[in-house]
Amino acid sequence: MMLLELIVRLALWLLLAPLLPGIINKVKAWVAGRRGPPVLQLYYDLARLWRKGVVMSTLASPGFIIGPAVAWVAVAGAALLLPLGAAGSLVGFRGDMLMLLYLLALARFCTSWAALETGSAFEGMGAAREVSYAVLAEAALIAAMLSLCVQTGSTALATMLAPSGGAGAVLLAAGLFLVLLAENCRVPFDDPNTHLELTMIHEVMVLDHSGPPLAVLLHCATMKLLLFALLLTQAVLPIGRLSEPANATVLAGGVLLAMVGVGLVESLLARLAFRRVPLFLVTAFLLCLFALLMAWKGGRA
Amino acid sequence: MSAGALLLLALVSLTLAMLTGGRFARTWLGFVLVAAATGSAAAVTVFATGAEWEWQSDFRVGGEALHLRLDGVSALFLALLSVLGGGGAAYAREYWPDEHYPDSAPRGRACWSSLMLCMGLVLLSSNGLHFLIAWELFAVSAFFLLTLDRQRREVRQSGWLYLAASHGGTLCLFAFFGTLAARTGSWELGPLRERADLSPLFWLALAGFGVKAGLFPLHIWLPSAHANAPSHVSALMSGVAIKMGAYGLVRFSGWLPVPAEAGWALLLLGSVSALFGIAFALAQSDLKRLLAYCSVENIGIICAGLGLALLGAARHHAAWGQLALAGTLLHVWNHGAFKALLFFGAGSVVHAAGTREMSRLGGLWRAMPWTASLFTLGCLAVAGLPPLNGFVSEWLIYLGLFDGAALRAAPLGAVMPPAILLAAAGALALACFAKAAAIVFLGAPRTKAAERAHEGGAWMHGPMLLLAGVCLALGLAPLAFWPAVASASRAWNPTWVASEPPAPLAALSLVQLTLACLAGAVAVGLWRKACANGLRRGLTWDCGYARPTARMQYTSGAFAGLAAGWFTWLLRPERLLHRPRGLLPARATHIERVPETVLERVLTPVAKQVLRASTATRRLQHGRLPAYILYLVAGLCALGLFVLLGGRP
Repeated sequence: MMLLELIVRLALWLLLAPLLPGIINKVKAWVAGRRGPPVLQLYYDLARLWRKGVVMSTLASPGFIIGPAVAWVAVAGAALLLPLGAAGSLVGFRGDMLMLLYLLALARFCTSWAALETGSAFEGMGAAREVSYAVLAEAALIAAMLSLCVQTGSTALATMLAPSGGAGAVLLAAGLFLVLLAENCRVPFDDPNTHLELTMIHEVMVLDHSGPPLAVLLHCATMKLLLFALLLTQAVLPIGRLSEPANATVLAGGVLLAMVGVGLVESLLARLAFRRVPLFLVTAFLLCLFALLMAWKGGRA
Repeated sequence: MSAGALLLLALVSLTLAMLTGGRFARTWLGFVLVAAATGSAAAVTVFATGAEWEWQSDFRVGGEALHLRLDGVSALFLALLSVLGGGGAAYAREYWPDEHYPDSAPRGRACWSSLMLCMGLVLLSSNGLHFLIAWELFAVSAFFLLTLDRQRREVRQSGWLYLAASHGGTLCLFAFFGTLAARTGSWELGPLRERADLSPLFWLALAGFGVKAGLFPLHIWLPSAHANAPSHVSALMSGVAIKMGAYGLVRFSGWLPVPAEAGWALLLLGSVSALFGIAFALAQSDLKRLLAYCSVENIGIICAGLGLALLGAARHHAAWGQLALAGTLLHVWNHGAFKALLFFGAGSVVHAAGTREMSRLGGLWRAMPWTASLFTLGCLAVAGLPPLNGFVSEWLIYLGLFDGAALRAAPLGAVMPPAILLAAAGALALACFAKAAAIVFLGAPRTKAAERAHEGGAWMHGPMLLLAGVCLALGLAPLAFWPAVASASRAWNPTWVASEPPAPLAALSLVQLTLACLAGAVAVGLWRKACANGLRRGLTWDCGYARPTARMQYTSGAFAGLAAGWFTWLLRPERLLHRPRGLLPARATHIERVPETVLERVLTPVAKQVLRASTATRRLQHGRLPAYILYLVAGLCALGLFVLLGGRP
């Protein structure tokens, strides 16, 4: 039974995740008055990459390919820890939210490692930015988790996410949305469209990857995006109080809304100058911190 | 065999090792390994039976009867000492051999066994006087080991600094044990939990043991000593010797009552120590100095956990306190295992390439695949990433913090800032160790020496493999080590009898195990798929740049620059920059150094002022009699004036 559930969940995660960048691109195209690429474009890209050969730098060790694989497993593991509304989580235990955060950290270590394999200054730059900005993002995430934990009196994701974000929900939503943008390297922190500039994070780290490892890295990034969108939706909306069908609809609607939000931000905002990025992340941290203070002062959910 | 017999055997073989160490390297190694095996067997006996071993004799040393005791807490540290002592001795056989160091290698062997013996005695002795004697001998043996390579000036300097700082700490311990003996009327140590009047002594213990443990800001001796010592010595110092400070804190916070603020103080000091330690580590460009600062971070985590456990104990023995204590005790083992592994790895790098400067290394994985993969495993563990051991203990401590915060009891809200500080420290640790592993082992070799590097032999790999195995075992099957943790926490606080491991730990280890297997399977699968599709080697693409050179790679300073820049107020880096000028620039330099802020910016200026003041005062004493008579007369006149003006003598 558990195995069946595992397979269904994993299939859902793996199959639905690449849809999100398609939605964002559609929104961006719509705002700009273009037709834009098909929503399923990333599926085609992944299928094409999966069939292609691999070019590896002469300097790179096997870690160049092991890194993306481990990162993918880590993000998939984190995804399976996240409860899905009324369906609850697959393996929920006390403290699983810390495991989730640290699995994302493991993925970060592995992608940075794979980027540094090539000895290229561009990729070194990207990896350095990735791990440095994560410090502030991690502080914001822990503050957000603490606020949920204080509010519900629990340390298991399933019970933490069931009630709504309470009084601080708006603050928490804003903070988590900023963290979502930063952790998934979207505008205004990073620009997923450029390739050849000195100002990128994620895209510059995968410059030298090709073929199946690149496909795995891209898929891993979309799973991470879906994970953050789901986390945001469940942290803010009172999912636990809804009936089961309404639950699934609300979850899907929340993710869709988050993606439309990302698309709008990307259409309307320019990328920040790099020295402003920490400031923005500190803002995210402060928003989460205020949500924590409100949770501390407010009633228990 | 009983624990007593095993300990006697360990004692005898260490003594024999001390005697034979000078001449016979092989016999010495045999004796040390026997001692390590018997020492860990004694610890395992205590864990398995759950009963503490105690031995009293009428034989007196320094007027005090011998009293030895091995309970859960000391057995935990004894096991760590045995494993790292034995492993380091084996490592030294190839790393510090007689052929290359005919003068210092024999001395090193003798000191190694005496250091192990003295640390063992510290753990066993249950008498304040004997504790102090063993502590002092341990400090001195460590000094001789640190300065094995005493021809080099910086080694001597760091040795003296260590000795001075260590004695500063010992001074506090003299006061601690002396006052304790005066108040209780005997030097005997043991549980005195109901004597509330003894609780202020905790602050003395914190200062004394804090210096040895290397808690920020008492860590001044630690970075230079660990960086300049031979790597096997650094491993033992970082893995075990600084844990003796942690042992003292755990031991006496368990046996003696503590003030109400002690838990808060430890929690705050620990989390600040964790954050600042790792910030310093990130900014280092010397591989071993980086590892040394990281010890400051980990000791911080241990102290924060202990502080939380004290808070839990003060609040009706809350379950979250027990979780935090379990995390603290496990972290003692975990840090010992991965830090020694990393120092052994750094030793292999120094051995192969002859430098600790990360900017002169690079691309070593090709020449040293074993060291590279084991060092990376250590990096993953120290960054607290699942599925390795560092994560398990940090997770337990976090869980304690979160459970405490979830209660929403008014004073416990203050555990939230430490939780956030520790999270930031964890993310910085990831940045720091991604840098350490990648700059040293990946990319292209930055110098000729790095290009010519060679892999170490079996004696160097063996101990590293053993420690990597320990890291994996503690990460994947933490439940197997639970009896040790349970026995130690029972010894720390007898009312905490929960021998059952907390339920989430079982779920956690299951998830960790699944993850590890899956990661392996997917990695193999992806590698095969890549090979099946056709794997071609080519120049690093680098946005189409056709002639990359090794010097164009990101360096350690560049990688850390962004995050270290946020800590400029603390790190105060010194820069020397000569920009290239003119059409054909001849020379350009850029040197950056991160000084030890507390030592160089706080302590040294104060010490200089004190010296200047004392030099000024010394002018008063010159041996000329008339002047002394003048002082007397002036003094008498001043006194007279004082009385005349109405003062009371």
